[in-house]
Formats: sequence, structure tokens, C-alpha cells
Amino acid sequence: MTGLVWLCKRETLRVSKLWTQTVLAPVISSILFILVFGLSLGGRIDQVSSVDYEVFIVPGLITMGMVQAAYANNASSIFQARFDRYIHDVLAAPMSPWQMTFGYTVGGIFRALAIGASLLVLATILVGVPIERPFALAAAVALGLILFSALGVVVGIYAETWDHTTFIANIVILPLAFVGGVFYSIEVLPSPWEELSHFNPVFYLVNAVRFGFLGESDVSVWLSLGVTAALAVPVYAWSQWLFTTGRRLKD
Amino acid sequence: MFRNDSALSLRGLTKRYDDGTVALEDFDLEIPAGAFFGLLGPNGAGKTTLISAVCNLVRITDGQISVFGEPHDSMAARRSIGLAEQDINLDRFLTVRETLVYHGGYFGMDDLEPRADEMIEAFGLQSKRDVRAPKLSGGQRRRLLLARALMHRPRLVILDEPTAGVDFELRTELWRYIRQLHSEGTTILLTTHYLEEAEELCDEIALIRGGRLIARDSSEGLREHFGAARLQDVYVKAMAS
Repeated sequence: MTGLVWLCKRETLRVSKLWTQTVLAPVISSILFILVFGLSLGGRIDQVSSVDYEVFIVPGLITMGMVQAAYANNASSIFQARFDRYIHDVLAAPMSPWQMTFGYTVGGIFRALAIGASLLVLATILVGVPIERPFALAAAVALGLILFSALGVVVGIYAETWDHTTFIANIVILPLAFVGGVFYSIEVLPSPWEELSHFNPVFYLVNAVRFGFLGESDVSVWLSLGVTAALAVPVYAWSQWLFTTGRRLKD
Repeated sequence: MFRNDSALSLRGLTKRYDDGTVALEDFDLEIPAGAFFGLLGPNGAGKTTLISAVCNLVRITDGQISVFGEPHDSMAARRSIGLAEQDINLDRFLTVRETLVYHGGYFGMDDLEPRADEMIEAFGLQSKRDVRAPKLSGGQRRRLLLARALMHRPRLVILDEPTAGVDFELRTELWRYIRQLHSEGTTILLTTHYLEEAEELCDEIALIRGGRLIARDSSEGLREHFGAARLQDVYVKAMAS
């Protein structure tokens, strides 16, 4: 287990050493969203799901900031380690494949939690966001971070260039987050956009987190948690399979 | 069965890459514990593939590898091996001291900090202990690479062209340290393109070409077998045959 502890320390050390890029920058971006969309436009928008607009958008923005960070951290950390080949130091070490998978997943979770906690403190000060259902919130955050951290590990292992890692972030995760109900309730969408939103996995995660904060959600929290878990388990298993077989990691 | 007095035993080792290239074919090799063993061959002969297979860095196609009688992918075998690769592959986010401490942590060591300080002193990196790897000179990186390989006190040290591109002074210094390690009972597997290096350091030398073992003996034995006055002539004859 010692090797696992040190791999977890290494992955969190990297986040800490680069804190201005890994934590500060995404926190500032998300706070700007709250300030611009919430405080400046919020006064002109009616309540959404019986809460003020500037409060309504906070859970989605925290979710978006966290999942992007969880993914980007692990994709870049693994890709860099493969590119510079210092991942060999871990692959040759007396560690089980499950320990390697878990150790590399932890960095993304740590970074996302640092961002989420910072945003929660700032959002509480700025707009006073409540936490109505803490257990549901904890479950949603845990499942969402496992899903996107593991996705980062998988993409970091398959990527051939830096562009591949940013492609998934910019072309898949960011658009799905934007149309996943971060800024609106899907009740206001016309057909077929409302129905199409149900095929967006980030929609369920945003709603699970929103339920944890506000006690309000567009869909059942059980459905949201179920869909997120149904994605998190196979993606984590995929990353585990890559470390177990050595595919893409070992020639 | 594998011999218990073997540091490294390869049986029928075959490695075929996904593109069809056969790097090693039905390769057998036995290196006794305590040996200083040299592996010589041209680029593409399969030296680095062999080392990577032993260190669990490539997926082998067929065959068996044991390290001190244990399967090479077991925790015990992994703990027994120290590897300094040909290319500098240091973690760019870690300082010299962190590189050693984290490596020791991955390998389950307890006395991390005193050992790291001992290695820093042994390799003359005291003034660079808090400097990150990318800011080191080429020679300092090479020293750190060797220090990292030795950090967890491996019984089998594998050095893949450790003196490639290194100046004479550092090469002499590395030779001295490697000799000292060997005199303390560590088994050394060295690959090199410098024939005089192999002749100077190794008890036994294996010549490989195209993934196959061509010959194996002491330097004198090889010269006698090939009827050559110098190891360079042996090498030329062996590779041409």
C-alpha cells in the first residue's frame, strides 16, 4: 500500500505546485460566470424553479468547474508522464494495477474538490447558496468525479498528442456541460431540445448536484445518480483494464 | 524450473510488436547472481526490448522471465530490480530530492529521507537537491537517473547505455561507482555501444543480433572463440556472421 500512498501524494503534489493554473484559474473563471450571468443578468430574470437565478446557476457552475478540472488534470498528468516516459518509474514499481489506476485517479479528484470547495465558499459569500440535501450532494460529487477523473486517465493513456486531450475537453465536455442545464431548467426548452437533453449525461450530473444544493431538480435524483453511476463504473473499469493489460502503456 | 542462484533467467522469450516486428525470438539467457554482465549488439538488436521486458515495461509475446527465482511481474521481483534507462526520463515536476524520495515511496521503502540524502551525497548533487530535473545539466540528470535506479537498494541493477553521450570525467566517475556496487555483491546487467567499456567492466559478455543470442563468454573467451585480437574484431566478425 505504501506505493499507492506515494503515487497519490505525487499526483496531489503536482496540483499543489501548479495551484495558480490548476485551482486559481478555474475558480476565477467560474466566479466570473456567477458575477456576469448571476449578479448582472439575474435581476432581469424571474426565479427559476422557485429560486433566484444567481443561486440557481451556482450548482451547475460548480459541477462544470469540477468535472472539467477532474478530466483535464488526469488527462494531462498521464499524457505528460507517457510523453516524458517517467511513467516507467511507476509501471516498474511493485504496485498492483488497481493501485496505479486509483493513484492516478486521485489527482483529478483532489483538484476538483479544491476548486469545488473554493467555489462553494465564494458563492456562499456572494449569493448565499444553501446545501439542502448534503448526502445527495456528496453522492453526486463522488460519482461525477470518479466518472470524469477516470475519463481523464483513459484519454491520457490513448492520446497521441496534447491536441487529443484538449479536443475531448473542448469539443465534448464543455458543450455537454453548457447544454446540460447549467444556466437554465430544461422545462423552458421547446421540443425537441427538452427531450434531447435527456440524452446528455452531464444533464443528470448537473441535476443531481443541483438537487443536493437546492432540493430542486428537473428529474428524479435517483435517476440522475443512477445514470451517473452507470457511466462512472464502466469508465473506471476501462481505465483499470488499461493498467491491468498494459495496453497503450506498454509496447 | 528456474535456478535459485540466477539473478536473471529468460526462457524462450519472444517479443513481437503490434506492427509485426520481432524484437526477440525464443531467447534464452541466464545471468548468475553477483555477475557483471554485458549485453552488446547494434541498434535494433533487441537489447532495450529485453531490458524493458524484464522490467515489465513491454508486454511479452511468449516465454518466461524470472528474477532471483521469482516471476518478473511479482512484487518481489520488481522490488529487486533497479533500472537506469538509456533516455533521461525524470519527472519534470519533482526536485532532485523529491525524485529520489518518491521513487523510494513507490518501491515501499521505509528509510526514504536518509537514503535520499545518502544518494544525493554519493552522486555529488548536494547543491542541486531542491532543483527540478529540467533545470539540471545533462551530466547531473544522468547522475540522478543512476541514483534513482539505486535508491531502493536493488539486487539486480540494469543499466541501459548509462554512459551514452557522457563526457570522459563523468564516465570514469560512473564506472567507479558501478564497480563499487558490483564489489558489494550487486548483480549488474549493462548494455553499451562502447566495447572498451564492456571489456573493462564485465565478467561476461553476450553478443546479440536480430533478437537472437550470437555468443556469450568472457572477453578472453570471445576473442579466442572468434580468433580475434581485440573485442572490436570479435564484434565485427560476430555481427557479420
